[in-house]
Amino acid sequence: MEAAKKLGIDISSLCGGKGTCGKCKVKVQNGIEGLNPLTEQELDHLSKDEIETDFRLACQAKLTLPSTILVPEMSRVGKQRLQTEGLEVPVELNPLVKKYFVKLPKPTLHDARSDEDRLLDSLKDEHGRQGFLDFEIAKDLPIVLRESDWAVTAVMWGDRIVAVERGDTTDRCFGFAVDIGTTKLAGFLVDLNKGNVVSVVARANPQIPFGEDVMSRIAYAMTGGWNALNELQKAVMSGINEMIEECCKKAGSKHDEVYELCFAGNTCMQLLFLGLWPRHVAFSPYPPVLRRGVDTEASKLGLKSHKNANAHFLPVIGGFVGADSVADIMAVKMLESDETIMDIDIGTNTEIALGNKDLVITDSCASGPAFEGMEIKHGMRAATGAIEKISIDPKTLEINYRTIDDTPAVGICGSGLIDVLAELLKSGIVDIKGTFVKEMTKQTNRLRQGADGWEFVLAWKDETKTNTDIAITQGDIRELQKAKAAMHSGADILMKRMNVTENDIDKLYIAGAFGNYIDPENARTIGVYPEMPIDKIHFVGNTAGTGARMCLASREMREYAEEISKKVKYFELAADPDFQTEYINSIYLPHVNLNKYPITKGLLQRLGHLPL
Amino acid sequence: MALKEEVLKKLVQAVVDGNVEQAESAARESVNAGVEPYKAIIDGLSKGMEVVGEKYDAKEYFLPELLMAGDAMYAGLNVLLPLLPKREAGGKGTVVLGVVEGDIHDIGKNIVKAMLTASGYRVVDLGKDVPVDEFIRRAKEEGAQVIAMSTLMTPTLLSIQTVEEKLKAEGLKGKVKTIIGGGSVSDGWRERSGSDAYGKDAMEAVSKVKLLIESVKAAALQLKDSEKQKPKEEEGT
Repeated sequence: MEAAKKLGIDISSLCGGKGTCGKCKVKVQNGIEGLNPLTEQELDHLSKDEIETDFRLACQAKLTLPSTILVPEMSRVGKQRLQTEGLEVPVELNPLVKKYFVKLPKPTLHDARSDEDRLLDSLKDEHGRQGFLDFEIAKDLPIVLRESDWAVTAVMWGDRIVAVERGDTTDRCFGFAVDIGTTKLAGFLVDLNKGNVVSVVARANPQIPFGEDVMSRIAYAMTGGWNALNELQKAVMSGINEMIEECCKKAGSKHDEVYELCFAGNTCMQLLFLGLWPRHVAFSPYPPVLRRGVDTEASKLGLKSHKNANAHFLPVIGGFVGADSVADIMAVKMLESDETIMDIDIGTNTEIALGNKDLVITDSCASGPAFEGMEIKHGMRAATGAIEKISIDPKTLEINYRTIDDTPAVGICGSGLIDVLAELLKSGIVDIKGTFVKEMTKQTNRLRQGADGWEFVLAWKDETKTNTDIAITQGDIRELQKAKAAMHSGADILMKRMNVTENDIDKLYIAGAFGNYIDPENARTIGVYPEMPIDKIHFVGNTAGTGARMCLASREMREYAEEISKKVKYFELAADPDFQTEYINSIYLPHVNLNKYPITKGLLQRLGHLPL
Repeated sequence: MALKEEVLKKLVQAVVDGNVEQAESAARESVNAGVEPYKAIIDGLSKGMEVVGEKYDAKEYFLPELLMAGDAMYAGLNVLLPLLPKREAGGKGTVVLGVVEGDIHDIGKNIVKAMLTASGYRVVDLGKDVPVDEFIRRAKEEGAQVIAMSTLMTPTLLSIQTVEEKLKAEGLKGKVKTIIGGGSVSDGWRERSGSDAYGKDAMEAVSKVKLLIESVKAAALQLKDSEKQKPKEEEGT
């Protein structure tokens, strides 16, 4: 796998190279004699046929001789759909970074002011700004001033002059906002003079090989110590630097024209990004290290922007509810709202916020990567060939599906998985407990016993790219039930705490990259979130990115973020005595108590799957 | 005879169906039918739980069914346990059981507790989020032969290692055996942490605990025997 990485080949690595997901199967075309013997993990994941035809797991097989390895379609990640768009929230442009062009009078015998005083005085006289010079700038200040014939641009961060540039560069002033997701990074290059986004780019988070989820990344640091923490920090920086470079290239700007960077991410991402010891946030009572917004030198972190650029990480709330949630709450203006709003940011960790201008409470649910395709037999991330939409005719049980980029199916991704579960429930192939209804074998040959137990075939092998039947197994359904139960019980507990029901919620915002692609009705039918009319549900996309951009564009927004971080209450789900019960109740599709789901209940009754 | 068989079947079904009322009434029925309480537990309730375990492994049953089966089993045990002679009710050995510090997921742990209790072991349930020192302190206090630890999460695996280290430090390794289980645990982790056994589910936990307790008792007996030997040898010479 390391060799492939060096060559820029994208081999699937859902488990981060531990040998537990079995998704990195490769075929050794020559050089097999130089490989290590099969490991236990390989014996678990490779079939007898595969072993006989020289298949290995890329993360387990070690090369010692030059070899030729074939990476089959099913093990490739392909072009991922890395959604970055989020709600656009206009703010009054008032960034911390500002540029001022000044023409200084030359020194004379009558005016022998120091270079610094000369500069500061002009700034005050021409622009009304009181600044102070960063010592580092003083070093070549005299050269810069004289080489530009005393016409220079002072770059200020707050009151600090962080650069003095030759001539008038006031129109070249950029900032970079990043949403550091557990699974994907989204980067936005912002023109700080106009406040608009000039280019956008996304990347998979390079920390993934160290752990698919936050807990395993923290465990990696715990066992590896400071070296491991440095590795994790370097990994995310490399992804961010790549994004900066790509964005600048697209926009025709240079990385040293980026004077400030603003970051949002959950608390674990914050700790790993800043290089703070992350162990204790993983254990009850899950206290963060720093709650406030953090300003530090971007170059010290290893970021490739202007050498004196500032890096600002938004404040966090608590536990794993981090700066991403602060950003979400900021973007949907929850603290100003008269209406009661619930905001669900769906991801590997799902954060839920509930409230209005009087009170906002939050919690974090370990929804896990099932909706990202992990632990699902034919699961994959949203990339080329992934079944992303699927429907089952309730009468004929015929299947219709669509794949990303319309190529032959390779597997199924999150939005497809939600569709499948809803459609299976609606067609009576699966009951509300999530169990396959065996009698349905009489009506469809897609329901059958496979190598891993009962399964339902979505695409027969001649339709697929991988030449294997793509099916969803009973085990897959259980994993999806667990994931959605986590989210749903997270929402239920907050509602209970606030003494509201789904009928009291005026708006449900679904945030997170994944959210924009899912079918809201199907998600509601299986109980991903509480039942409410579709017109109350709004997809807002990557609002963590929105919040990061808002803070980049406006210093007032940073104060607002601080306010949110202090005001919003965090609840630890694990500490709630009802959590386990609510979780179990939410395992059912949509819920054990169907009276909470009158719309779905009615639908299932009409379709004949529930008694009237 | 037929009536006894029938009532045992009812007990099995009550657990398989997760029916608390049925479990309770079948338990009472078994007493009235003259079935020995011990037999009602093992051939009725535990048998039912084994069936549930098989269905869970096949993914036919999932967490709600497991929880309900556990509730039904406890309902039956509440009726039958008080009727057991002292020797059979917990006389086989003592197990200290809990979910490790930092973790609160206890459904699996509760099933293990039900099965161990049903099999005649005295279970001291420490609950969830149990500090490392608490496991050891209570094991000493209660004279336990086994410490059973469960966890679902990854970072909490390290607590298991700490318990092993502390047991070694106190010279208790071997005198008190350890068994681990839970969603994030594996036999590989057992090797790394130095625990004595790993149970992949409640059924396996019971059979492994049996072996662990037997080995602890055998070791204790050997120690006693070798101490008895010494004076005899001296007399002989």
